[in-house]
Amino acid sequence: MGGWWLFLFAVLGAAALLFTMVFFIIMFSDLECDYINPIDLCNKLNQFVLPEMIAHAILTVLFLLCGQWFTFLLNVPLVLYNANKVNKKNHMYDATEIFRTLGGHKRECFFKLGFYLLSFFYYLYRMILALIQESER
Amino acid sequence: MSDQQQPQLPPGWQATWDQNAQRYYFVHIESGTTQWEPPVAVAEQQPVTSPLPAGGPGGVHHARRRQYAAGQTQAYLGADAGMGYGQPPAQGAPGDGYGQAPVGQQGAQLFTPGLEGDQQLQLQQGQPQYYGQPQPGYADAGKPQHGPVDQLVNQFGQMGMGQQGQKPFQLHTVNLVGMPIDPRELLADPPEMRLPPGACISNNPMANADPSYQRCTLNAIPTTHSLLNKSRLPFAIILTPYRSLKETDDDLAPPVVSDTVIVRCRRCRTYINPYVTFTDGGNRWKCCMCGLANDVPQLFDWDQQRGQPADRWARPELNYSTVEFIAPSEYMVRPPQPPVYIFLIDVSYAAVQSGMVATATRTILESLDRLPNIDDRTKVAVIAYDVALHFFSLPPGSTESNMLVVGDLDDVFLPQPTDILVNLTESRAPLEALLGKLSDMFKDNHAVGSAFGPALQAGYKLASPTGGKIIALSANLPSLGPGALKNREDPKLLGTSQESKLLQPQSSFYKTFAIECSRSQVSVDIFLTGSGYSDVATVSGLPRYTSGQTYFYPSFNASRSEDAMKLAHELSTLLASPIGLEAVIRVRASRGLRMSQFHGNFFVRSTDLLALPAVPWDQSYAIEMQIEETLNQPFVVIQTAVLHTTSFGERRIRVVTQAIPTTQNISEVYASADQIAIATLLANKAVERCLSNKIEDARDAVMNKMSDILGAFKTNMTAAGSGASAQLSICDNLKLLPILLLGLMKHVGLRHSSQIPSDLRSYAHCLLTTLPSQLLIPYIHPCFYSLHNMPPECGTIGENGVIMPPPLPLTSERLERHGLYLIEDGQTMFLWIGRDAVGQLVQDVFDLPAYDQLRGGKATLPILDNPFSQRVNAVINKTREMRRTPYWPHLYVVKEDGEPPLRLWALSGLIMDRADQTPSYVQYLTQLKDRVSQGAGGDSWYSELNGAVRM
Ligand SMILES: [Zn+2]
Repeated sequence: MGGWWLFLFAVLGAAALLFTMVFFIIMFSDLECDYINPIDLCNKLNQFVLPEMIAHAILTVLFLLCGQWFTFLLNVPLVLYNANKVNKKNHMYDATEIFRTLGGHKRECFFKLGFYLLSFFYYLYRMILALIQESER
Repeated sequence: MSDQQQPQLPPGWQATWDQNAQRYYFVHIESGTTQWEPPVAVAEQQPVTSPLPAGGPGGVHHARRRQYAAGQTQAYLGADAGMGYGQPPAQGAPGDGYGQAPVGQQGAQLFTPGLEGDQQLQLQQGQPQYYGQPQPGYADAGKPQHGPVDQLVNQFGQMGMGQQGQKPFQLHTVNLVGMPIDPRELLADPPEMRLPPGACISNNPMANADPSYQRCTLNAIPTTHSLLNKSRLPFAIILTPYRSLKETDDDLAPPVVSDTVIVRCRRCRTYINPYVTFTDGGNRWKCCMCGLANDVPQLFDWDQQRGQPADRWARPELNYSTVEFIAPSEYMVRPPQPPVYIFLIDVSYAAVQSGMVATATRTILESLDRLPNIDDRTKVAVIAYDVALHFFSLPPGSTESNMLVVGDLDDVFLPQPTDILVNLTESRAPLEALLGKLSDMFKDNHAVGSAFGPALQAGYKLASPTGGKIIALSANLPSLGPGALKNREDPKLLGTSQESKLLQPQSSFYKTFAIECSRSQVSVDIFLTGSGYSDVATVSGLPRYTSGQTYFYPSFNASRSEDAMKLAHELSTLLASPIGLEAVIRVRASRGLRMSQFHGNFFVRSTDLLALPAVPWDQSYAIEMQIEETLNQPFVVIQTAVLHTTSFGERRIRVVTQAIPTTQNISEVYASADQIAIATLLANKAVERCLSNKIEDARDAVMNKMSDILGAFKTNMTAAGSGASAQLSICDNLKLLPILLLGLMKHVGLRHSSQIPSDLRSYAHCLLTTLPSQLLIPYIHPCFYSLHNMPPECGTIGENGVIMPPPLPLTSERLERHGLYLIEDGQTMFLWIGRDAVGQLVQDVFDLPAYDQLRGGKATLPILDNPFSQRVNAVINKTREMRRTPYWPHLYVVKEDGEPPLRLWALSGLIMDRADQTPSYVQYLTQLKDRVSQGAGGDSWYSELNGAVRM
């Protein structure tokens, strides 16, 4: 199971997540340059934290439902990592601690950025593959 | 006296004139020891000497002590009033008076002709101070209070500065094992700052920052990060930019630059200071931080008041490290706000019954005249709360107040738009009437529960348009509306690794609300007087991020006059102190340095900007620094600027400038390290570690830091290098760091115990992270005085106020069974009385016939009509006054055979002793020595070992 539409959806999803991460990173560097204060920064970013995690989780569940085991397993670690953060209630950015933890946040965002970028190209490849298979049939 | 003539000396001695003391002191050339007494005289004073076996703290001393104990009692009984208690004739035979002090160890000490080790130690600890030498009181550490070696270092330093240019620092290495501890050295000045000649354009002695405003852990900064790393010393500054002034300290307010000519660097915005250089015939100035050449504005040399040219070199900002600029309107976002005080008073059953309401309202009423209100702009509001909110309308001109009750706690609103927050001067009459009757109004209140959160929100609604200060008094755990808390105290968790959960906030309300407050320039101070669990850990988050303070009065009961006194004193001091409103603190430093971590009560608003809705007096902040690039300049400058609105409506900038030399020499780094500043920083970091990890980790981190420093010192500075050695070496200026850190690890905020309620721990954390060094050091290393045999001048008025007895090392070996002692840490005082105290002593101090009649516990000492009682009271009062503090320590009378909890509490201050789970000082040194010896193997020694917790 899992036609090209699944990967089209995944490509769009990965692109959206990618942009979210770029947005996060830009905001963090704004904070460092004092263009935004930590309260506004946290209020802004915190709106996107859960949607980002949920979007990624939905994508992963879709892969599972469609039987794309390999792709599913690729995504599971990140889902678990996010779930763990939510569970420990430290997924939200804390304006009082932000300068102490900024380095960590930035590292995390860059890592996610890289992951979504690779996923994006991988999904794109799979989508094209699926399209070719479809047309050959 | 014959002080003025140079006396005859035995060979090997040299007399040197001390400018400050205006008398000679004597240097033994070979050993480098110094003393005030002419060496001959000392030898004569000592006709009988029984040689003491070296290094043995054992039985000999006990024998000696008992022997004196008996003599002591007799002396006391037979004492005539003038003589003091058990005090032998003063000048005649000082050997006796001091001889009873058991000498700890004498390993590291050198011998001096005519003196045995015993006497020499006494000389260091007491005699030069208290015999024949008019001395500043204990609180004002003058130069002669330095250890003899320190003095010598200073001497060298001055020579270096004055005559021969720069000389390298003299690094004096001491062996910690066997070294006696002289607590008086804790009051010494930090190691001398040795700036290159010409660094400062002024020769005013105040041109570099006073340590009470700003001090650095290193008074010579390594030029590279790797050198700093090699030394293992932390690099941070400790700030108290807005500190109170004590008349007794000859304190002067920082000079004010009133002509609004504020000269700053175009590029880095540094304020002009005594470390800039003028070029181009004085038309330009070169910034000391970034090196940019700036133009000097013409008004800089112009006296605007007189309309004539002025002398630039007389300008305060070029002569003083701490100055205040009056800021023009560019520095204001809005017109200066008036001081706003909003009182939230808990009037529930528990609060009324404990007498808190009556005490607080009376204190506020009596303090109305002391509230900063010079220009009649100050505004005040009172909100009472229990299960509902009670607002009071105080219309100007009327004499009565009108109560308005709001029961909706989920969506707090103000019952009327005006007359709740009122002008103090205009509505004085209704306000006084209200405060006078508030506790009566609620005296039959049976409401149980506390709408603390809603009350805070109401206060915020009132204050947010202008900003201001909320002073919240609470006698209950918040139980209603937003911010309600659960009683989560679980004695089973205490002393386990789960304990730190209780020290973390249980609700995010107080933090989120704090951010809102900070944004609207509202600062919150909280007074907790609950008898049960108050959750200090959660509630204190609010003062923490709004630059306020938490005050905690466990099981407060105003029927004990001491409790009422303490609350009234601390509340009224807070009300009377001027505040700096709408403040921001920015720290700038020379190129190559970067601020990395901030500790203290504020909100970090950007990478180098701290927001404080109201800067309180005497709160300390610690800022860690990093060396990012190699420092090429011979000295660096660190400048703190506090922009604030004074309580009289002036926008001002208080600027504290500190210049610190740089060095490439690791021995200078060590020789310049400031143990007091290091201990203050580590207290902050340890508390942080308690909250983020476990308390155990915090203790480990402190221990590891100490052994790291010792290990690095050994590797870098001693011949033993990395091998095992019987010595534990450190430089003289850091020799008290180990005991300070031991005190920190044994402190109520950190020590391993299953008996400390989490509220007490959390409160200790609040203090450890906010107290300035002057208060923090006694808080972790209490002061311990022997009163029954204090020298006769102690407790009388000297040149600098009441003369304090010499502080003793913190060991119970010093407790004699017939004695009277004072142990105090700035927050609590214990008056310890031995079980064999003679009746006369009990009679004279407590007005009771015998020891058996005496009851332990919180007490107020009577002032009786005998000199000893008056002297003891003078010492206690001086203890309460000598530091810059709002706190009023309780006095507990502790009987040697009294209730165990109180006794153990008092004894926990004697940190050199072993107490159930904590090592004695000697054991601790052994542990450190073992770690340092294990760490064989070069630079990376120990640090890779078992992935230890580090700071
Ligand atoms: Zn500059």
